[in-house]
Amino acid sequence: MAVRKTIYFFFVPGLLLYAIFFLYPTLSGFYNSFTDWDGMSDTSGFVGLDNYKTVADSIIFKKAIGNNLRFMLSVVVVQTLVSLIVALLLTKNKKTTVALRALYFFPTILSSAAVGFIAAYVYDPNLGLLNELLRMLGLSALANNWLGNPSLAIYSIAAIQAWAHIGQMAILFIAGLHAIPEELYEAAKLDGGGKWAIFRRITWPLLAPAATIVVAYTTIQSFKAFDLIFVTTRGGPNYATEILSTYIYSAAFQNYKFGQASAASIYFLFIIAFITFLQFRALRANRVSY
Amino acid sequence: MLKKYSFPAAIFLLLALILAACGGNGGNASSNTVSSGNSGAGKPVEISFIHWQGDVPVWNEIIKDFEQENPGIKVSMQTFPSEQYQTTAQVKLLDGSVGDVFASFPGAQFESIAKAGLYTDLTNEAFVQSFVPELIKSGAKDGKQYALPYSLVYNIPVYNVGLFEQYNLSPPKDWDSFLAASETLKSNGIIPIAFPGADIGPGQFMNPMMMNNAPDEEVFQKLEKGETKLTDEWWTTTLSQFKELNDKGYFQPDSLGTNTDAAIALFSQGKAAMLATGSYSIAAVLKASPDLKLDLLAPITVPADQAIYEGIHTTTFMLGVNSKSKHPEEAKAFISYLSKKEVAGKVANAANQNIPVKDIEYTSPALQVISGWADKKTRFQPRYLITNIEIQKAVTGSIQAVIAGDSAEGAAGSAQAIVDQQLKP
Repeated sequence: MAVRKTIYFFFVPGLLLYAIFFLYPTLSGFYNSFTDWDGMSDTSGFVGLDNYKTVADSIIFKKAIGNNLRFMLSVVVVQTLVSLIVALLLTKNKKTTVALRALYFFPTILSSAAVGFIAAYVYDPNLGLLNELLRMLGLSALANNWLGNPSLAIYSIAAIQAWAHIGQMAILFIAGLHAIPEELYEAAKLDGGGKWAIFRRITWPLLAPAATIVVAYTTIQSFKAFDLIFVTTRGGPNYATEILSTYIYSAAFQNYKFGQASAASIYFLFIIAFITFLQFRALRANRVSY
Repeated sequence: MLKKYSFPAAIFLLLALILAACGGNGGNASSNTVSSGNSGAGKPVEISFIHWQGDVPVWNEIIKDFEQENPGIKVSMQTFPSEQYQTTAQVKLLDGSVGDVFASFPGAQFESIAKAGLYTDLTNEAFVQSFVPELIKSGAKDGKQYALPYSLVYNIPVYNVGLFEQYNLSPPKDWDSFLAASETLKSNGIIPIAFPGADIGPGQFMNPMMMNNAPDEEVFQKLEKGETKLTDEWWTTTLSQFKELNDKGYFQPDSLGTNTDAAIALFSQGKAAMLATGSYSIAAVLKASPDLKLDLLAPITVPADQAIYEGIHTTTFMLGVNSKSKHPEEAKAFISYLSKKEVAGKVANAANQNIPVKDIEYTSPALQVISGWADKKTRFQPRYLITNIEIQKAVTGSIQAVIAGDSAEGAAGSAQAIVDQQLKP
């Protein structure tokens, strides 16, 4: 019993940090979502579900959800596919593996804000590198107003978000690939299996756990994206890149409506939980074991 | 069973008690008892000064001089990026541990700080008399002077006088001549207006564009009371004029993707004749191209005889004393020092910004460019009079919408829908 008590004692620091930095803010945010607190005043009034109704009716909140879903889908598809391809290439090519892994991993050491600043300069329609490059390659027709065109801006930022995290996701896939027993590939080759058949019947099904983590992580990461959007477009032009995190930031720290921001955060939490749940179910259904 | 969980439950309860002791939702902050004076024997009182002018080394000099003149007071300065400051200053001021003296923006931030009771009333302080009375109204509310603006800027385009002279153009006096001048510049391969539509452009250029379309200085206050709408003529006319400038190619191509630095580069390189920002850009332009001859001009969007205002001014960087400060007298002493014309002049010429303190001698080249504007009929920046940020964003968003291709009426209607939601009780 004494040993057990000692074990519990070692939990205390972690539990304390968890309680202070997660549990308390979460519960506090939940409580604030039922008040009209402005973030500064000494007093606040209980307003029941008013904040939830106001947020649900908000034109900007609805735009933010739509933009967030578009952003998330683009990032998940591009980031998962490209990082899988990069992982496969890096695992096969033994000679250049270390150098290439370092190269692909490089963007992940940059902060999102730094990536955003770089992206804003690269995307600048008049002086930016991307349009200049396209013009040099004779592809002037593809030159665009990447961040200023309301129908394109969210995808331009999604491309940067995906680029910045491909190395990180590729490493998860590489770990998954290393966990697949080599004997399975040898047996498949002996049975005359082609590259595509081997990938479809062995690699992909056995990568399902890694893919589940990559997709879930990418979903959460792209839903939470804030600094990249804030640095590049601040949610503009005309709300074209407004997402849930920028909406919440604006409501809390610019408009001083902490109650509404807290209600939006609770919606945010449920949306992420629901999407992640669906993804886990879908990907778990595809899982196999040999 | 109960015994099995008793120890973890006890730990959790302990945590809950600790949190409860620390907690309360920000709304339970206790107010400090204000004391002043040099509390420790021989030990100087330290006051905190927070603001957003991080790139101005003159502040260190000023503080050093102040400390020499006031050996009982030490000033600890912290600066933040202006974007960060705009959103988090209030939270920092709440417990009184930082920001005995603090800077604030006019408009939404001033209103929210005043509402939270974080300003000390400075109305009867002698140093208020050092300021130009008409230029400190942005720091006043309900007849009380809560903050003293320490920066005066003109939010109207900077123009390249040399390029205008080259094409025999003078600052246009009405909308038709503004369009004609723009056409002349465009037909000679010059971008008439470098417009940073990706960031500050809409929020800056909207001010001179609307100043004579809606000469009522309370128009945005009325919008926030529901007494006027963005779908009314004053705003749809402004939007259609923005659209006209864009559709005629008087902004650089893809202006909504152009940020401030890129717009300044276009202007500094002589590729654009006007820069739709404000007087605060002059120093950066002169740094890049010291030989450029510059001045300011505002687009006059109405016939000349109907023009009431010649431009826009903003008094910002408003200095206040935190009502939760433990050292209010020392904080006031610091502001009093900054209010001296010699000290204010030193800051002004080093930081290339006008300061609304009386009788300052401006010697910096950037400030000499705008010296004549103090005598012109300018009005306070209308955008800063919008206190709800979502309404402010809807207004500037409607400008981006017309530049992206929407009709003036459609963009105004969409923006008004957001305004209507914000006005719901």
